[in-house]
Amino acid sequence: MYWGGNPAECHPRHFTKYALMPKSKFLPRGRKDRTAVLVDIRPTKSAKAADIFLQVRPGKDFELITILRALIKDQKVSEEAVAETGITLEQCTDLIERMKKAKFGCVFFGMGLSMTRGKHMNSAALLTLAAEMNAFTKFVAMPMRGHGNVTGADVIMRWQTGYPFGITFNRGYPRYNPGEFSTVDVLVRGDADAAFIIGADPGATMPQPAIDHLARIPTIVLDPHVTHTSNLAKVHITTAPAGIAAPGTAYRMDEIPLPLKPALKSPYPTDEEVVRRIKQAIVKKPFWMPEGAQMTAAQV
Amino acid sequence: MLRITGGKVYDPANGIDGEVRDLFVSEGKFVASAEEGRTIDATGMIVFPGGVDVHTHVAGGAINFARAMTPEDHRRTQAFIRSQSRRSGIGGMAPTTFATGYLYAGMGWTTVNEAAVPVLSARHTHEELSDIPIVDKSTLTLMANNEIMLDLMEKGEYERAKNVVAWYIWAAKSYGVKAVNPGGVAAWKWGKDAKQLTSPIEGFTRLTPGDIISQLARICHELGLPHPLHLHCNNLGAPGNISTTLDTLNHLDGHRAHIAHSQYHAYGGDDWDEMRSETAQLAEYFNTHPNVTTDAGAVLFGDTVTITADGPWQHLLYKLTGRKWGNLDVENETGCGIVPYTYRPSNLVNAIQWSVGLELLLLIKNPWQVFLSTDHPNGGCFWRYPEIIQLLMCADFRTECLKKLPDKIKERITLPELTREYTLYEIATSMSAGPARALGLHHKGNLGLGCDADIVIYEEDKDVARMFGHPRYVIKGGEVVIEEGDIRATPDGHEYISRPHYAPDTDEFLRPLFEDCYTMQFENYPVEMERIEKPAIHDCVPNS
Ligand SMILES: [Zn+2]
Repeated sequence: MYWGGNPAECHPRHFTKYALMPKSKFLPRGRKDRTAVLVDIRPTKSAKAADIFLQVRPGKDFELITILRALIKDQKVSEEAVAETGITLEQCTDLIERMKKAKFGCVFFGMGLSMTRGKHMNSAALLTLAAEMNAFTKFVAMPMRGHGNVTGADVIMRWQTGYPFGITFNRGYPRYNPGEFSTVDVLVRGDADAAFIIGADPGATMPQPAIDHLARIPTIVLDPHVTHTSNLAKVHITTAPAGIAAPGTAYRMDEIPLPLKPALKSPYPTDEEVVRRIKQAIVKKPFWMPEGAQMTAAQV
Repeated sequence: MLRITGGKVYDPANGIDGEVRDLFVSEGKFVASAEEGRTIDATGMIVFPGGVDVHTHVAGGAINFARAMTPEDHRRTQAFIRSQSRRSGIGGMAPTTFATGYLYAGMGWTTVNEAAVPVLSARHTHEELSDIPIVDKSTLTLMANNEIMLDLMEKGEYERAKNVVAWYIWAAKSYGVKAVNPGGVAAWKWGKDAKQLTSPIEGFTRLTPGDIISQLARICHELGLPHPLHLHCNNLGAPGNISTTLDTLNHLDGHRAHIAHSQYHAYGGDDWDEMRSETAQLAEYFNTHPNVTTDAGAVLFGDTVTITADGPWQHLLYKLTGRKWGNLDVENETGCGIVPYTYRPSNLVNAIQWSVGLELLLLIKNPWQVFLSTDHPNGGCFWRYPEIIQLLMCADFRTECLKKLPDKIKERITLPELTREYTLYEIATSMSAGPARALGLHHKGNLGLGCDADIVIYEEDKDVARMFGHPRYVIKGGEVVIEEGDIRATPDGHEYISRPHYAPDTDEFLRPLFEDCYTMQFENYPVEMERIEKPAIHDCVPNS
């Protein structure tokens, strides 16, 4: 099941390499041995690849998931509640029956679910549905992430700080609060007095007050390309493109790391090399904490 | 160079039991004498070899998933503030990588074995390990639910299976083989478990968990791996599982093995209401089979997060607790479940578990066979080991703790009858010399000439937990890393890797099987040696 995602256009290898087409020991006919369902607010290109397309009314994902959670436990739901989602009760019960009959069910959910009305409440509801389905058969759920290696950044922040994003180090140790310490919030409030941006183009996607602040402060961009952000930055260091001319590691959406093997040489340094050299220069400067000073968590 | 003079030395590997001796260190190793360098006056202090954790979970996809699942714990727990010598981080139930190194070293542990790594995500585990400072490290590869392996075993292709195990170890750059709930994690892909050692596994026609155990134990022996099969038995945590555990041990056919966290595998009774300790039976097995070792997997009361490749068990735990549940399926190889958990003294099952861990440590007579562990973070966090040491060394303290448990527990456990108290010599064996020997790390847990100068020095203290929680000095590879409660140096540790022999055609045998069922390129699968920070390679000599 895909929910609120459009892999045909956003993750073009997902059907062929990962979720729908591959043949295997227990699914020797590949696609023919699988049932694919798409739930979305409009019939995207991905709908053509699905056996069943369910067009949910915009903003009604949470309600639909909750109805499905009730139905799998044979709870009664009112006709009106179902009708509001844009899906009929027959469609719901048919879906539930298929889910329960599946030998291994997997729900991939995209930003059409996690970034629309209800946001993380929608994701939590869907994850709960998948967890509860395990009373009947094996069921799992996995988010479909956005840009390139966002999973890799997540994974590393987690092992170094315990948190995936929205982290501040302003007390000398990691603290987490999305909505307060997320980059966009820090910029909109004007809390940052410098910005260092690698492999991202917030100048193209963030709200105007955040972009205005980036233009006000010393912004340094490491990017192979000229971008909206590099145009407003005080410094743009051109780097070799990762995976094309720079080696490294990228984490797949399922957190499996893949080595990047460059096919080309680049006259530009890699991001890693630039960061390393900046770090070497910073080490030569006096440490931010006075010599001999010791901070404890209680003091800060 | 370094001299440590006047300390009472406990070095079980060399039979030294509290004698006053001087130790000399040069270039990271013990030497017969040293003229120059710093002298640490350890007069009146206690000198141990650095601790060795035979079974812990500190790096990789599973613990990193647990970190993501428990921000509420990070917020309330110990924070590590950045300093010039130290990276910032978070302690608690699932500590961050840098903090993991500081916490282990701060407690005098200098070697850790990460006990559960899928080949598919081994690259990730090694990246995390290189961010764990100070301690030396090794990893074990999960092998008892790998579909390619299981197919070979089902077809009876033993020799081929042996080559494939060796190939996997080298591909993962790991140290040995871990088996978790043999067949049960593969069955979990179907939402099932493998509870009977002699019944065919879901998805297979003949292959049983018992077959996997027998063959993997033999393979580990014949490949000449430094550490024998590291085995997490079927039916973990279930009342009445003692019969499965004893049956598992019989399937070893006389081969060596290390039984992981045996506390979770020594229960009687038919259901949760009837659950009781069966440690006497299990301890008897160890007392009569010196070639099998175990770690306690002891439970301490309080909050933690449970992490295991045992997916079906974690689903049950989620249903029992109604708390958060994370499930990871690792393609054809294994899986993993994560559930936060609180062990409560008022809960009869938890109280029995607490008792069972201690009973095993006390009933298994030879400390060279039973090692200190909590199966971190499953039974409790590793940084709470000093509390277990206190429980082992002070019978009075145990009696005090027993008073807080439910009355009903009395007929279910044997702990109140046990008066044994560990000596310092026995503690040094169980926390260092024993696990080092079981891992085949002969230069660890040993203060003899030529061995690695990993040393922990304690100030004698009647409060045992305080003494072991706050060593006066910790020395890693001859370098003073902890002094006066402060981190003085954070050198990078080594990573131990085994290189077993395999037939040269194994690559070409595996390639088509791999291309049939994996989602990445065969060439990208093995971990490149360049990614390992300070590798120490052990070339295995095969046994016939
Ligand atoms: Zn474990």
